Amino acid sequence: MSAQAIQGRIDPITAKVIQGALEHIAIEMGYKLMRMSYSSIIRESEDFGAALIDAQCRQLAEAKQSTPLQSGPIPGYIRGMLKMLQERGETIRPGDVFMHNDPYGGASHGPDVAFVVPVFHKDALAGYAVTTAHHLDIGAHTPGSGGIVDAIDCYAEGLRFQAIKVYEEGRRNNQVWHMLRTNIRLPDLVLGDMEAQIAAARIGAQRYVELVERYGLPTVTAATEDMFDASERLLRAAIAKLPDGEYSATTYIDGYLDDPNPARRDLPIKVTIRIAGDEMTVDLTGTAPQVSDRPINMPFKGTVDCAIWLSVRSVLLDSAVHGEIQQNEGLTRPIKIVAPEGTLANPIFPAPVIARFCPGIELSNAVVQALSQVVPRQVCGGCANGGGLLLAGQQGNNFWLQVELFSGSYGGRWQMDGMDSVDVLYANTRNNPIEDIESHVPLRIERYELREQVAAAGRWRGGVGSIRHLRFLSPGSASVESEGHKYPPKGLFGGADGTPSQLVRVKTDGSEIQLPSKLPHHPFAQDESIVAIRACAGGYGNPLERDPQAVLDDVLDDYITPEQAFAQYRVKIIDGKVDAAATRAARASA
Amino acid sequence: MKLVGVDVGGTFTDVMYSDSVDRKVIIHKVPTTGDDPSRGVMTGILELCTRNGIDAADIDYVFHGTTIATNAVLEYRGAEAGMITTKGFRDIIHIGRHQRPQHYSIMQEIPWQDRPLVRRRHRKVVTERLAPPNGAVLVPLDEDEVRVAARELKARDVQSIAICFLFSYLNSMHEDRARAIVLEEHPDAFVTTSSSVVSQFREFERFTTAAMNAYIGPPVRNYVQQLDKALRGAGMRAELRIMRSNGGVATPATISEFPVLTLLSGPAAGVLGGAVCGALSGRRNLITFDVGGTSADIGVTNEGVFSEASARDTTIAGYPVLVPMIDIHTIGAGGGSVAYIDAGGSFHVGPRSAGSVPGPAAYARGGQEPTVTDANVVLGRLDKDNFLGGAMSLDVEGAHKVVGEIARTLGLSVDEAAAGIVTILNSNMANAIRSRTVQKGIDPRDFSLMAFGGAGPLHGAEVADMLGIPEVIVPAFPGITSALGLLASELKYDAVRTQFQVSTDLDVARLNTNFTQMERDILQQFEADRVPAGDIALRRFADARYVGQGYELRIDIGQGTIDGPAMQEAFAQFHRIHEAEYGHAFPESPIEIVNIRVTGTAPSPQLEWPRSTAGGSREKALVKVASTKFRVDGALRAFDTAFYRRADLPVGTALSGPAIILQLDATTVVPPNWSFTADPHGNLILTAGVAR
Repeated sequence: MSAQAIQGRIDPITAKVIQGALEHIAIEMGYKLMRMSYSSIIRESEDFGAALIDAQCRQLAEAKQSTPLQSGPIPGYIRGMLKMLQERGETIRPGDVFMHNDPYGGASHGPDVAFVVPVFHKDALAGYAVTTAHHLDIGAHTPGSGGIVDAIDCYAEGLRFQAIKVYEEGRRNNQVWHMLRTNIRLPDLVLGDMEAQIAAARIGAQRYVELVERYGLPTVTAATEDMFDASERLLRAAIAKLPDGEYSATTYIDGYLDDPNPARRDLPIKVTIRIAGDEMTVDLTGTAPQVSDRPINMPFKGTVDCAIWLSVRSVLLDSAVHGEIQQNEGLTRPIKIVAPEGTLANPIFPAPVIARFCPGIELSNAVVQALSQVVPRQVCGGCANGGGLLLAGQQGNNFWLQVELFSGSYGGRWQMDGMDSVDVLYANTRNNPIEDIESHVPLRIERYELREQVAAAGRWRGGVGSIRHLRFLSPGSASVESEGHKYPPKGLFGGADGTPSQLVRVKTDGSEIQLPSKLPHHPFAQDESIVAIRACAGGYGNPLERDPQAVLDDVLDDYITPEQAFAQYRVKIIDGKVDAAATRAARASA
Repeated sequence: MKLVGVDVGGTFTDVMYSDSVDRKVIIHKVPTTGDDPSRGVMTGILELCTRNGIDAADIDYVFHGTTIATNAVLEYRGAEAGMITTKGFRDIIHIGRHQRPQHYSIMQEIPWQDRPLVRRRHRKVVTERLAPPNGAVLVPLDEDEVRVAARELKARDVQSIAICFLFSYLNSMHEDRARAIVLEEHPDAFVTTSSSVVSQFREFERFTTAAMNAYIGPPVRNYVQQLDKALRGAGMRAELRIMRSNGGVATPATISEFPVLTLLSGPAAGVLGGAVCGALSGRRNLITFDVGGTSADIGVTNEGVFSEASARDTTIAGYPVLVPMIDIHTIGAGGGSVAYIDAGGSFHVGPRSAGSVPGPAAYARGGQEPTVTDANVVLGRLDKDNFLGGAMSLDVEGAHKVVGEIARTLGLSVDEAAAGIVTILNSNMANAIRSRTVQKGIDPRDFSLMAFGGAGPLHGAEVADMLGIPEVIVPAFPGITSALGLLASELKYDAVRTQFQVSTDLDVARLNTNFTQMERDILQQFEADRVPAGDIALRRFADARYVGQGYELRIDIGQGTIDGPAMQEAFAQFHRIHEAEYGHAFPESPIEIVNIRVTGTAPSPQLEWPRSTAGGSREKALVKVASTKFRVDGALRAFDTAFYRRADLPVGTALSGPAIILQLDATTVVPPNWSFTADPHGNLILTAGVAR
């Protein structure tokens, strides 16, 4: 990599020292939030974010532990919050703490509630310390905050907070907290998590003030401006290497496969990437119209923009290749995003959006596929989508709730098979340990392992999906938001398409019912089960070019059968060994 | 009592001998023998004895730190291992927590998928199932299936087998039975059960720990047996003790069964050695700062006690391992850290290191990139003629050339660039220390910084300045602190049991029963090691959290029979610790006891340290006066700086900086606004402020 002289606003040493300090503050916020929080979706699944934002609403640093889709939208939350305050003629004062989750005001979706602590230095606003987290419940029409796939508008999705002061000049606004407690299921958990968010954000604010006091605001600002510029130059340099031109890809979401209304299913997401010099425009024209009464629309700010920024940087500034590069404002500057209003990618209020997660993954898939035309060795075959399953029930006086986030898997990559059964693209959460779940809620996990005989063939095969079988030990309910029951992840450069997901209800008599990828709140009897069979991701490259030894390994590891080895790869396996001559002959005549 | 500590490093094997009667300490260094490290160990011990007229047969104990297990993991060359696990759960160690290591990367690797400890073909499932809360048998163990699995694995020449069943931490019956069956079918197999390695919930982490034990078991067992044989072959009767990552030692028998306990024992011995040196001078609040060529290890000892890493933070080579470890924070910062400018124009120092080959440009081994060592050469802090006691010369021109190149790119003078490289490195290390102190409610200004390793004493004072730490201690032999730590380590065993008990509905009888049982287990281990019961100290802890939380904090539990008031005190303690750790507490919330733990220690023979009272004199110690550069009040200036030979410094006399203190294995930098004193315990004490 060639180094070139860049004249910054301040000396590069001080700039680096300040940047390092900012990163550490964000990490400390994330660390404390993760460890203090109550609900499994934050502390086990790590579905939370933490970031420092400057007075101009630009992201300075984010917590490394957080999931990308949580930290990425934070600057947008602040912009939305400020717009709301301005409209209402309200001001920000020292000691205020704001709560904000308006998906039409910068939030990613309603359950991801931000708590914002403004940072003051010498009576002037110097920035914000912010935490976001996915809350278990925000008072939607059915229990929980996942699988709300039948909300008909934003009002049905749960409570909306537009720049609400939960603390005013240091005084707790008890009326707000009373209202939250009344309107949210599991108030102890949710309000505990909210308190943890505030505590973590306050620590960030305190550290940020200390930093500003040590160096002075002008120096800190100059260091951060240099940091943005450096990040921007990195991405511009990477874009400039790509040939100018227009590159398109389209992916599809199931939508509501069991719905009689065709406008609610088989919906395209189209991405056109235009590269001109060191800039990129991502145009979503051609994407399906919004579904006005189903919540699979994606907030333009908070989901669409983040999905694009994060997919682009994961390909062009892959951290396995380029080392760690802080996600900040600079990495968004060279990318322009266009999405026509009234589409899935830019819905009009009050179109519901709470189940936007899976469409966002397909959008990311489309971005990666469009880029595969210019950087074929930095991308992967289609990734298997994730989503989530929400289980709930009543045991005596106790209401219980368990969020199961589905994993996806990565498509095959240049010289590497895809990653098996992991969270993908803009999400990076974690599953809950079986030994934790069964110790705390009335569920039995009957099975959790990889699928067999369905891996997508390729020179480098697609990642393998998992099967997770959960049985209710007492009556309860389930809600599901997922994708990919109809549309499998796409293969790339001759690799096979992946295998779709399935969701099965097993009744007490053993009979099975196939469920669609969207299941609104539905009762389950004791001893009934729900089985999540997750998609396998797409293959990469011609299967006939796969190393026969790798094919043999897949047979020995029971991913594929010897018959599949021959049918898909033309590799002849006899007695646990590759028959090299037969393989050569079969491949030559294929 | 005659003791030997042997620490095997990447390049050198360090041997330290201590005699409590003669109050004598002798050190010796020999090259590490890579193919079979026990050869270097024996050479080191026997050479030290021969050269100093010691009869090896008189040595009572050999304390040994080995990296056999760690290297087997890092280099991915352990045994071909198998696993027998609960039907329906074949891929727990492959799926993990379904989280990938890096957020923003398509081309990343996942250690447990790309380099499995047990390949899928060797993961066998058998019918059985236990259930919480008490480990009741839901589905009995199908013994025939276990037998078939054992035969199949044997037929494939799998010599090491991990048995991993869900909820075995509540009831080890199925795992124990499966182990017996496997040994019937495959008597030579190395068998590990997950509940015996760590009786704690979270299946991915526990199974991985057991798989890790299976993976490194055979090589470690062979090594320990070989070394023990070599000791006997040399006519020695010394007892062998092996260092563990929890800061204690264990017998060859224990380590042969649970080799996973030795992972990362090297850094543990280092911080222990640092703590021992600090204790000699009466310092019990220490931040250990062990800086080598590529990394800096940071540990905190508060009132003489090390904090233990949270079980959720302990990993090796990216794999989680649930074994007790001293809390050591490692960052990629050291003498070999490379300074570079990235494509966006940002200036970085580390984590990439030039290592020892090609190494810094100043080593003249072909290094072309500026490193921290080169910056120290430019600033005059590392002396060409006195590096490593004069054993190696430094290429000053080479250092100036590479630092000069980056200086031009940055638009700075060569000196400013060099100072900048050092400042960024120091700042990274100060941030790491802050994360272990300030962020956990500990004020570093109440601590001494114990600086060792080849580069710790070079940077200690300036890092301390950044944190307001008033004192830096440099031990007598900064380069061999691990061998010293070995000599001071105790025999130590841990036991853990998952509880999931809530404060509002506490089964105190169960706690008492479990504690008693765990203590009995530990006492049995000591008995097997022939340690008298009177020498054993037992401590009880609990890992607790507010109900609903996912991370535990450790609290002390008193001895004897536990009752309600005792637990109330423990819960009050939890609120206090939560407040200190996170800056916030939830005093109204119920508390869940997740695990209970017992630690048993038996003191090792005391290390005796020679005290020196007189020493030399300033004049005798003075090697030369030369120009070095320091930043004072914002300006980088040249100072006439005294270079002293450490061995000849007067004892108990405070001298002012700037000064450079030379010795065989490290160079100590005393900035202009600092002073220093050689103390009678062999430590060099650096103090902020000028000498009075």
